[in-house]
Amino acid sequence: MSIAQVLQKTEKGSSLLEVCSVRLGQTWFGLPIEHILEIVGGSRPQPVPLAPEFVGGLFHYRGDVLTTVSLRQLLGLPPKNGPQDILVLESTSGCFGLLVDLVGEVLTVSSTNYEPNPSTLDQRRKTLFDGAYKLKDKLLVMLDPELLDPMRLSQHPAS
Amino acid sequence: MDDLTREFLIESQEGLDRMERCLTELETRPEDAALLGDIFRSVHTIKGTTGFLGFKRLEKLAHAGENLLGLLREGKLIADRVLITGLLHLLDGLRSILKTIEADEAEGSGNDAELIAELESLQSPAPQSAGKKSPAASKPKVPRARRAKLVSPPSSDVPPPNQERVEDKRETEPRIKAPDERRVSERTIETPIAKAKPAVASTGAAESTLRVDIVLLNRMMNLVGELVLTRNQVLQATAADPRMTMLSRRLDMVTADLRESVMKARMQPVSNIFSKLPRIMRDLSQVLGRRVRLEVEGQDTELDKSLLEAIKDPLTHAVRNSLDHGIEPPDVRVAAGKDPEGTLKLRALQEGSHVIIEVLDDGAGIDVEKVRRKAIERGVISSERAAQTSERELLQLIFLPGFSTAAAVTNVSGRGVGMDVVRTNVEKIGGKVEIDSRVGKGTTLRLRIPLTLAIIPALIVRSLGQNFALPQGSLSELVHVPAEEAAKAIEWIEGAPLYRLRGNLLPLVFLGHLLKAANQDAEPEQDNFVAVLDVDGRRFGLVVDGLADPEEIVVKPLSAVLKSIGLYSGATVLGNAELALILDPGAIASKVGVTITTREEEAGSADGQESGRAEEQVEYLLIEVAGRRAAVLLDDVLRIEQLPLSRIEYIGNRPVLNFEGNLMPVEDSGDLIGAVHEISRDAKIIVVVCREGNRHVGIAVSQVLDVAVGSELFESGTQHRAEGVTLLKDRVTGVVGLRLVPPLPALESSTGEWNQIEEVMA
Repeated sequence: MSIAQVLQKTEKGSSLLEVCSVRLGQTWFGLPIEHILEIVGGSRPQPVPLAPEFVGGLFHYRGDVLTTVSLRQLLGLPPKNGPQDILVLESTSGCFGLLVDLVGEVLTVSSTNYEPNPSTLDQRRKTLFDGAYKLKDKLLVMLDPELLDPMRLSQHPAS
Repeated sequence: MDDLTREFLIESQEGLDRMERCLTELETRPEDAALLGDIFRSVHTIKGTTGFLGFKRLEKLAHAGENLLGLLREGKLIADRVLITGLLHLLDGLRSILKTIEADEAEGSGNDAELIAELESLQSPAPQSAGKKSPAASKPKVPRARRAKLVSPPSSDVPPPNQERVEDKRETEPRIKAPDERRVSERTIETPIAKAKPAVASTGAAESTLRVDIVLLNRMMNLVGELVLTRNQVLQATAADPRMTMLSRRLDMVTADLRESVMKARMQPVSNIFSKLPRIMRDLSQVLGRRVRLEVEGQDTELDKSLLEAIKDPLTHAVRNSLDHGIEPPDVRVAAGKDPEGTLKLRALQEGSHVIIEVLDDGAGIDVEKVRRKAIERGVISSERAAQTSERELLQLIFLPGFSTAAAVTNVSGRGVGMDVVRTNVEKIGGKVEIDSRVGKGTTLRLRIPLTLAIIPALIVRSLGQNFALPQGSLSELVHVPAEEAAKAIEWIEGAPLYRLRGNLLPLVFLGHLLKAANQDAEPEQDNFVAVLDVDGRRFGLVVDGLADPEEIVVKPLSAVLKSIGLYSGATVLGNAELALILDPGAIASKVGVTITTREEEAGSADGQESGRAEEQVEYLLIEVAGRRAAVLLDDVLRIEQLPLSRIEYIGNRPVLNFEGNLMPVEDSGDLIGAVHEISRDAKIIVVVCREGNRHVGIAVSQVLDVAVGSELFESGTQHRAEGVTLLKDRVTGVVGLRLVPPLPALESSTGEWNQIEEVMA
């Protein structure tokens, strides 16, 4: 838990969380900011032939070649042409990139607005999504960087 | 773990390594005072420091060992085989305690009473006289001069100079001290501090070297890799701007120097791993009842630290194999009329950007017939095929997993795993393994190891509109198949594409098809390039859509997910900042099922010749100059350029080619330039750029015909080899004498720079 979170802990027992919002198609997703190393805008990752479907390609990040996970391909959406934004995420097995349509702003959400995954969600999305925050005008679907790690995705293929 | 303990562990391990080296040497020179002094000091230092750090168990064991070594040093005992075995046990005991300390920071609760008792029993000279005299034990009786002749010690007393970098300070202490110290009775060792003093005293050499963490060196190597990438990008970006060219040249030079320095810092002499082998050999030859002498050559050849680590296991395997399957037991050797003592030779040498390590034995060799039978039996090759396959290629089969010709599995080897492991490990670091063997004469195993891991030369190829890097190591040649000829040149047998390369069929692999998985639609008419690859005798052509420049690439590891695809060995960033996947030719060959092919091409062309003479086969580039055929040694050819006539300039009346600011003479014996000029000012001319000494020479040619293997010609009667001509495709062909091309006066000063450019391109 970051210092900011501790400070923002309110007396009502609800806590505040800082999330980075990203857009994919019409849906907004949120990722806790402490797992984000950097945001690389307008990038075209190099495709890797024969790679698992969720792999969005490779990109050069500070001397390393990172594998990216395409959120679109992971959710079975049609690929988007043109440059996309990459979130460089840190997970227990190393760094990887998350390919999204657009990176939005950093929002502060309160745990009082949190709802778990709806039961009607399909199985694949249920395993990837981590509940949602109700914002004024939209819903922010939470993603867990650990669950998006390419290593993990290849071991537990989300069918 | 505190710094002091860590320091102690490193120092002690180095000391024990040295002790191991000395002990095996001691076997051949049991009276060598300097060796004894060295061994004594190793144990003594451990004992001294250990008491201070409070490792009681270690201290007790070291103390027992020191007592025994003291007697040895005073000359009261002679180091015979039994005693050396005891000391090796001591060494193992000390090592295992150090390992425990390293792991748990405590020395554990093991019991060393047995070992200490063994060491104490050795102090009384009884076992020596009672024990059976082994050949080694009788050696000290041989007069010194004769012994020196008989046995060439694996290394001299003085360690190779390069080792000083890693050796600790005590190494620089004058060795002459050892005999003096002998006079002091070592029975009373209660004053370890006084004794340890000279060990701590630093000397000049120690001050000029320092220990560097390998992590830091790895990081430096990484950063240098980044710099190489940036340099490549700068060079490409500034190629058009003359103002920047000077600066980027300078950057290029500095980067090259820096890279070399960092690489040098990571280099360690192969003696670091060679020195482990005498012990293994000693133990094995006792178990197996062999008598083996070790000869070592080129110990100070240096290799990258990580590569050195990587070849440790393969090398140990190779030595094991040589002892178990190669060198025969003494009685068999005598019966075969050989010296009962076998020779195992380790040889290291640098050859260009590779280090060659050879393990040679004068043992029984490998029976090729046995390999042939086994291969047929196991269905590796058909019997018809086996009959055609050359002995040399059959020998390579022993690298296949599970292939063993050993009649019985011993606990040393014979399970058929060894050679496979050797090859896999060596290939993992981009090296190659070859084996050569003659029945009754011996076996040579040759490991070719690249000097460095991180940066490799590669050819950039294009397919699917994407760049791929193809490591140059397995690339043997490139063939261009123009679009209009593609349909004719590429033949099919039931869906398997083939290409006739100089009359022989070469299986083709379309990279585009391979990477698009199931999608096998017909290729549109387009230019194809065939990269002919040779992966340990598995030859195939990889068809790509286009070729870009060769580049020195920095290998970046891929994530496990992508590694598991099995076709890529890494990724790299190209000069134009694009990413490229590095193809793994071996994996591609396995994936499409290319097997070892016999090189009929070489065998075929040698058929017509007397086989005795045509042993060395030289390849030539066959060219045509104004209707005449001529040949250039293929090894001399750097590249073939087709350029507009306007690029040819003149100094006086000599044609020269201005290539990136450097001049190169163009030999135009057929006056092609004049002839072409008459046709049109914009016509193109073909220039074959060749290497001659350290300069480059261009040859104007009408046409490049082919590459062919030439055979030497001999004068009838005298049998003198004819100079300057060769038999190419059944026709006597003149070889262009590159040396005869007169140098340009102005070329002298720029030759250095040429070399550099060439290095970058190579």
